[in-house]
Amino acid sequence: MPYFLVILISLFFSVSLIAQDKTTISGYVRNAASGEALIGAVVQIKGTQNATSTNSYGYYALQISGPNTELIVSFMGYQLLEQTIRVSENKRYNFELIVLDNQLEEVVVSAKRQNDNVTNAQMGAFNFSMEEVKNIPVVFGERDILKTIQLLPGIGKGGEGSSNFYVRGGGADQNLILLDEATVYNAAHLLGFFSTFNSDAIKDVELYKGGIPAQYGGRISSVMDINMVDGNNKKIAAEGGLGLIASRLKLEGPIVKDKGSFMVSGRRTYADLFLKLSNDETVNQSKLYFYDLNAKINYRFNDKNTLYASGYFGKDDLGYGDLFSFDWGNATATVRWNHIFNEKLFSNISLIYSDFTYNVNVSNDESDFTIASKIENFNLKEDLSYYADNKNILRFGLNILRQKISPASLNAGGESAVNSIDIESRSGIEAATYVSHEWKPSSWLSMIYGLRVTDFMVQGPGTFYDYDDDGDLIGEQSFDGGIVKHYFNLEPRLSLSVILSQEHSIKASYNRIVQNLHQLTNTTSSLPTDQYVVSSINIKPQYADQAALGYFRNFNNNAYEFSVEAYYKYMGNQIDFRNGADLQANKYLEGELLYGIGRSYGLEWYLRKSKGKLHGWISYTLARSERQFEQINGGDWYNARQDRTHDISVVSMYELSKKWSFGATFVYYTGNAITFPSGKYQMDGRTLFYYTERNGYRMPDYHRLDLSATYEPRKENKRFHSSWSFGFYNVYNRKNAYIIDFRENKQNTNVTEAYKIALFGIIPSVTWNFKF
Amino acid sequence: MRRCIYLLISVFIAVIMVACEEIIDVNLKVGDPKYVIDADLTSLSSEQVIRVTQTVPFNADIPSKPIENALVTVSDSRGRVFNFAYQGQGYYTVQNLALRKNITYNLSVNIDNELFEATSKLEDLVAIDSLGVIQETIFNEPYYFVLFKFNDPMDHPNYYRYSISVNGGPFRFSSAFSDKFNDGLLVTHQIANSDNSLAIGDSVVVRRQCISKEVYDYWNEIQFANPGNASPSNPKSNISNGAFGYFSTTATKEYGVRIQLL
Repeated sequence: MPYFLVILISLFFSVSLIAQDKTTISGYVRNAASGEALIGAVVQIKGTQNATSTNSYGYYALQISGPNTELIVSFMGYQLLEQTIRVSENKRYNFELIVLDNQLEEVVVSAKRQNDNVTNAQMGAFNFSMEEVKNIPVVFGERDILKTIQLLPGIGKGGEGSSNFYVRGGGADQNLILLDEATVYNAAHLLGFFSTFNSDAIKDVELYKGGIPAQYGGRISSVMDINMVDGNNKKIAAEGGLGLIASRLKLEGPIVKDKGSFMVSGRRTYADLFLKLSNDETVNQSKLYFYDLNAKINYRFNDKNTLYASGYFGKDDLGYGDLFSFDWGNATATVRWNHIFNEKLFSNISLIYSDFTYNVNVSNDESDFTIASKIENFNLKEDLSYYADNKNILRFGLNILRQKISPASLNAGGESAVNSIDIESRSGIEAATYVSHEWKPSSWLSMIYGLRVTDFMVQGPGTFYDYDDDGDLIGEQSFDGGIVKHYFNLEPRLSLSVILSQEHSIKASYNRIVQNLHQLTNTTSSLPTDQYVVSSINIKPQYADQAALGYFRNFNNNAYEFSVEAYYKYMGNQIDFRNGADLQANKYLEGELLYGIGRSYGLEWYLRKSKGKLHGWISYTLARSERQFEQINGGDWYNARQDRTHDISVVSMYELSKKWSFGATFVYYTGNAITFPSGKYQMDGRTLFYYTERNGYRMPDYHRLDLSATYEPRKENKRFHSSWSFGFYNVYNRKNAYIIDFRENKQNTNVTEAYKIALFGIIPSVTWNFKF
Repeated sequence: MRRCIYLLISVFIAVIMVACEEIIDVNLKVGDPKYVIDADLTSLSSEQVIRVTQTVPFNADIPSKPIENALVTVSDSRGRVFNFAYQGQGYYTVQNLALRKNITYNLSVNIDNELFEATSKLEDLVAIDSLGVIQETIFNEPYYFVLFKFNDPMDHPNYYRYSISVNGGPFRFSSAFSDKFNDGLLVTHQIANSDNSLAIGDSVVVRRQCISKEVYDYWNEIQFANPGNASPSNPKSNISNGAFGYFSTTATKEYGVRIQLL
């Protein structure tokens, strides 16, 4: 570690020395109407390639040479701002951009530096603001960022209605999902039909599937970094929607005008109201709902110091009368302090907490018990950005993360017919430091390279067990406390772009990432009860090495973006289970685990049109994802469940007039790899199925078309806006198989049959949205 | 507990979804045939039955293919050997094998010079305190269960298995339990047939066995096989050489009950 610090410091000074003594301007880019910071807005010296973009707090720093400099400030969906500034010393310049009234005016922004996708060194990344995805149709009419990113190349859909996603053949638990920097453990409501992200409260999403920058770590397949809305600091505003399944309301406004603001947003479903209609007493007392609450405040003390506090709380509640209830939810809290040391050095310190819990209550004549499980973390982060000059940005920081897992323990009442079971909790500390250098050595080359160093410390106290190759217990060691084991890892990262011309470039990337939190899932849907474990003496950190190569091309004055990327990913220390593993309240759980490797590779095509009345994108992924475990499938490679040969999405939006806009989405993908029987036999009067190979079959191909229409009536008055959204999910009523299963025929038990269950046919939806 | 959660989830899916079910054709491969040995020796009588069959293709119109030429033998730790005689349909029987305490039994099945072996000890029966019938109403539908109450022996892992015969039909596996969550307590087991279709007036016979951990693991895998499982597999057998099935020797009792409202 000290050795690493020396490298970091020397690199820092070498970059500082390169930096010439020029004037640096810095500041924030914001929305003129609401004061909301704009993330990724571009500040450019007119007529040059000297440009920078705002960070996730809307901050930029740019070096300028002359006393009179013409600047262009631009951001997707906003009017271009041109401004001439006169400076002779380092100075603060804040810019405010005005929202374009309508996508129709998009043509106006043609001067924007829109070839960022070509020239930027970062590859394998996508950025969306909620504004951009509002017309994409989704099930039940609820805008959902997790459903939208599943339409991008390389992002495998989790199946009907699912919020799970699989990036470049990785597992669903290998995605780092951050909400204002806090880890969200379970991004699904109602078992995946909704995501935990209420679109009203979300400003922007950044997704990395390769070439992941060094400031991120902890999950080997992707990073999804979600920023919450800061809140309007100019005036009080409200926004909301009434839908068939859920309703939402958001309030925002200034605490002190132009200095600080707040935002509170809530959402609740009311599917359970239908249960009230039942005349069965147990049913009409049943529960079936979820709610979300997002809140954020920020306050700018002065030019150099800003404080942000934000939080999320969400809960799902299912219950059958008072006999049975099951609730689960995430909570997150983030406090951030932005400090600007000087124009060039931007610092942020974050203190973050997040947790995920679930509770089951059973109470009937026979038994009365509760099951509770919790995973939580405390995270301290210091991130610094040093804007040396327009060619060098250095990012470095420290991160200490403590995660604690309290597995499901069973707590029985006095007269209950079950015993209490308490399973030891486990915790680990991950200390990480990183340095990353964004460097543009010449007009044809730009790169981001860096290194992340992590030390994962398995913490006592606790009893750790040893197992033989068959998973049988052979010994145990007890620790009173302290560090039981260190896992020390170096994670190099690189992403570079060779700019052939302003229209096209070739990019390459490599990353190694290590993961110390593992989710144990043996079901096809994501259940809240899926257990987490941290790396231990037996469980080694998972890691992935990924290399990718891509070609990026823009056409027609950047109206069309095209890219093709090829990747290969190797995954080590992957986890699966022994046959018939007992994962519930089992202190010898680690004896049930198997360790193997994985590989995935593929080609991803992406064509996007972002201008004009008709815009949208087409993505196509051709891919393979496989696993190899000595004890599974005779030690041969087999398809991962999420392996999909073909995956196509077509997303289109059409602005017919100022009143009407339409959206259509078509998806097609090869069915998941799955294990089906290759024979049968009878045992004790029951037909049992004979399985030969793991995931040797395929579910039927999946395809679906969704349509949406949005109607915005002419504004009756200045303050009040409203709109209607109409949607049809699965327009041609395709009965996509959700489950295929096998059973004895009821009439003749000698004969067996296969059947499928389809979840959704065509589903209409209507939502009324308002804003004032 | 796992069962509670699956029940809840299936109820949830049934309520919120307009799920639709449809019989389909799936083109399934034919795996290499495997031998299947169903060897459940009980203390009910000295006549014991072992069935030897072979797996068949999924769309075969028989559930299992009988094996006629197996040499089926059970020997015990006192050196006695019992040779089973073929009775047709894959069934092999012997008349004079009464299970005894503290004796180890060895199963040997020889099919065309392939040898399959297993070992088992007699498992004691845990006596029941009471027997009854209970009606439970789930979503307005009545369901009937046979109720067993008993004291589970403390500090000793116990495993139970029930099979059921309805109105004189053949015995079929119903459910298996362990005392993982209720060791040493007054335990209640609710037993029904596999599709929970017991009705008023049915006359049922429930066969109760205390089984070994291996046999429990075997049946537990089968009873929790569900379409949501990401990687179904063949349950782990206690018989050698890759044969399917299991070998079990248990003290067994049968209870006849008529389903009626009390």
